[in-house]
Amino acid sequence: MITKVIKRDGRVVDFDSGKILAAIEKSMKAAGCTASQGAAAVTEAVSRHLDEHYQQTPPKIEEIQDIVEHELMRMGFDEVAKQYILYRANRTRIREANTSLMKTIDEITKVDARQSDVKRDNANIDGNTAMGSMLQIGTAGAKAYNEAYLLTPQQAKAYREGDIHIHDFDFYSLTTTCTQIDIVNLFDGGFSTGHGFLREPQSIQSYAALAAIAIQSNQNDQHGGQSIPNFDYGMALGVAKTFRKAYTNKLTEGLEDFLDTEDEKDNVTKILADVKEATGMSPRLETDAEKFDAAVSEQITKKYNIPQEKAAHLVEVARRRANRKADRDTYQAMEGFVHNLNTMHSRAGAQTPFSSINYGTDTTPEGRMVIRNILLATDAGLGHGETCIFPIHVFKVKEGVNYNEGDPNYDLFKLSCKVSAKRLFPNYIFLDAPFNLQYYKPGRPETEVATMGCRTRVMGNVYDPSREISYGRGNLSFTSINLPRLAIEANHDEKVFYQKLDEMLDLVANQLLDRFEIQASKRVYNYPFLMGQGVWLDSDKLGPNDEVREVLKHGTLSIGFIGLAETLTALYGHHHGESDEMQQKGLEIVRYMRAYCDRRSQETKMNFTLLATPAEGLSGRFIRMDKKRYGIIPGVTDRDYYTNSFHVPVWYNISAFEKIQKEAPYHALTNAGHISYVELDGDTSNNVDAFESVVRCMHDAGIGYGSINHPVDRDPVCGYVGVIGDVCPRCGRRDGEAISPEKLAQLRKQYPDIPTFRGIE
Amino acid sequence: MSAMQRQSTVGKDVSFERIRRITGYLVGTMDKWNDAKKAEEHDRVKHGLSCGCK
Repeated sequence: MITKVIKRDGRVVDFDSGKILAAIEKSMKAAGCTASQGAAAVTEAVSRHLDEHYQQTPPKIEEIQDIVEHELMRMGFDEVAKQYILYRANRTRIREANTSLMKTIDEITKVDARQSDVKRDNANIDGNTAMGSMLQIGTAGAKAYNEAYLLTPQQAKAYREGDIHIHDFDFYSLTTTCTQIDIVNLFDGGFSTGHGFLREPQSIQSYAALAAIAIQSNQNDQHGGQSIPNFDYGMALGVAKTFRKAYTNKLTEGLEDFLDTEDEKDNVTKILADVKEATGMSPRLETDAEKFDAAVSEQITKKYNIPQEKAAHLVEVARRRANRKADRDTYQAMEGFVHNLNTMHSRAGAQTPFSSINYGTDTTPEGRMVIRNILLATDAGLGHGETCIFPIHVFKVKEGVNYNEGDPNYDLFKLSCKVSAKRLFPNYIFLDAPFNLQYYKPGRPETEVATMGCRTRVMGNVYDPSREISYGRGNLSFTSINLPRLAIEANHDEKVFYQKLDEMLDLVANQLLDRFEIQASKRVYNYPFLMGQGVWLDSDKLGPNDEVREVLKHGTLSIGFIGLAETLTALYGHHHGESDEMQQKGLEIVRYMRAYCDRRSQETKMNFTLLATPAEGLSGRFIRMDKKRYGIIPGVTDRDYYTNSFHVPVWYNISAFEKIQKEAPYHALTNAGHISYVELDGDTSNNVDAFESVVRCMHDAGIGYGSINHPVDRDPVCGYVGVIGDVCPRCGRRDGEAISPEKLAQLRKQYPDIPTFRGIE
Repeated sequence: MSAMQRQSTVGKDVSFERIRRITGYLVGTMDKWNDAKKAEEHDRVKHGLSCGCK
């Protein structure tokens, strides 16, 4: 009779046959077999076997398990043996997950981020800082748990082996992706951040400050980025309040100076109230200015017995000064907003919030003031002239509003091109693209398409067709398919490829529904800002303890893909950039996936949408595994990344015009979001016309969302912003070289924007 | 430190900033990019404007 066994970690402990019995009984139960005397018999057989073979040295756990398997099969318990093997495999998986988790944490703790790809998975997190590392350790732990306990074995296998990628997997059981925050609705009556109540803002400065806080607060309730769809419309209300106050103050000051008194405030307030009662008008930037000012000067003449011309002059001066004040305040507010978003932190201090703002279509004088000043503040850059990383600016282009000469905001569109040619923002979203125009209703800004800066877009709504809007909605979760692998596996057989694609689409759609079950069973108190403050559409109708299931259905479940170019090359020999024939093949594949999403949407009344995945961590993950599996396949696995979504490969020579023409039709199909890039050479700020021609080309070709890349370099020493080759054109130094303080002092006379270096100079 | 060395101490080891776009977002330095995205950025070619754009 043996008395000892060796555990996996090498420790020797007492043998207990009861443990073998329990494991066998569990497997029998799982196999639906109830004969418990069978379990005892197998246990006895195993013990006998051990006695015969392990007299000298105690057996190892793994060896005992092998014997159990063997005895189960020998004694005819085939189904039980199968269950036992599954049980063992699952335990092994969990154990391995734990070991690899410890290894990952070890790497996060000890290795410099520059040497560790794990720590640079998300470029917005600094893996070298305490809070960044803490976040990454949490991520690693959550991923290990989610894979072992929340995925079905089939899903876990597909995820682990790189058939699919479940994005933001660390947050699998916790929350949803992103939201378009309607700030008009949020600010109305004030809101609470969970750490204090903020009253409804009363000036453009507080509007801008609260907008940043709203983004920060909501970022902590979700795992994706945050966007404001109506930045111009929302901030315009703040400008109106600032102007109203400034008009009152300037008029008061003017009267006090003229009358040599000290306390005309109450009188002016009374005059403005009387005018409002008589005409229904209040002080407004430009709108009805003449009529209103005339009414005010008439009242002043009456009340103070001041000559009519003098009163008119006082009002005119007050308006001019109020205008200037509102404009200056708006600029400062926008400057503060941009600075805030580039410096504030969220998520345990480890990240700058991913923030985006959409604007361009508000044609009121107040809205125009906002748009102009946010562009000017971005143009000026941060404290040392640095290009702002956040927020992503998205300029909404619309014919009749800002696209053509004579449109009310045409000047602002022109300005946006000038700024983007220097600062890389704004990007452009095109409201005239047919798939966006179908939702557009003039005078209803919520029907204007808006996008998360990264590309995620929400418009259609099968759950509630009366709410096909962008406000208060967003993506719930998304999972991407490794398209090139399906093509490689299909071995040039189109039919096989589509069969495999069908299977994969089913697997992903069902996984998204499984995840939705977890998300939907949360309560309002799990999302204190997003749901508690009514940011999400219809969440204002829920109480704090209510389940969020129904309102979440306004969001989207998205199926994404990567590497259309490599897929086509694997299947047919070349990609869609190379021929029109391949373009048709590419469109067939993407159309097929879209049709699948539409079908599932109709069946489930949930918003299944197709996403041109923004692959950051994913760009290298699939191809690394595919290289190991299939070796180097030219044009398919011979680089370190798969091409983003439906893009023509970045390395392929093609003109801007052709690239836009090739990619535009895919925008119409990818209703969960898309972006196309054009790479321009040289300093585009010297050639704004060329820049604008590319934007116009995108508009006319039916691109949904696009942006233009060009090199923006900066020398932190002399402050030069532009294209820098090997040598800085301003100070003449090379990368990492020093220059003399004398030279710097000399340059400073010429360029006052050169930063000062404390402690060095 | 010699007078010569002291003379040229401004900017030693300070790199140029190169701002690039990554999945829609800008990143101020490529130090924090992952290896695959670095390779992709390296491969990017410019797109000419010789075209029928308006």
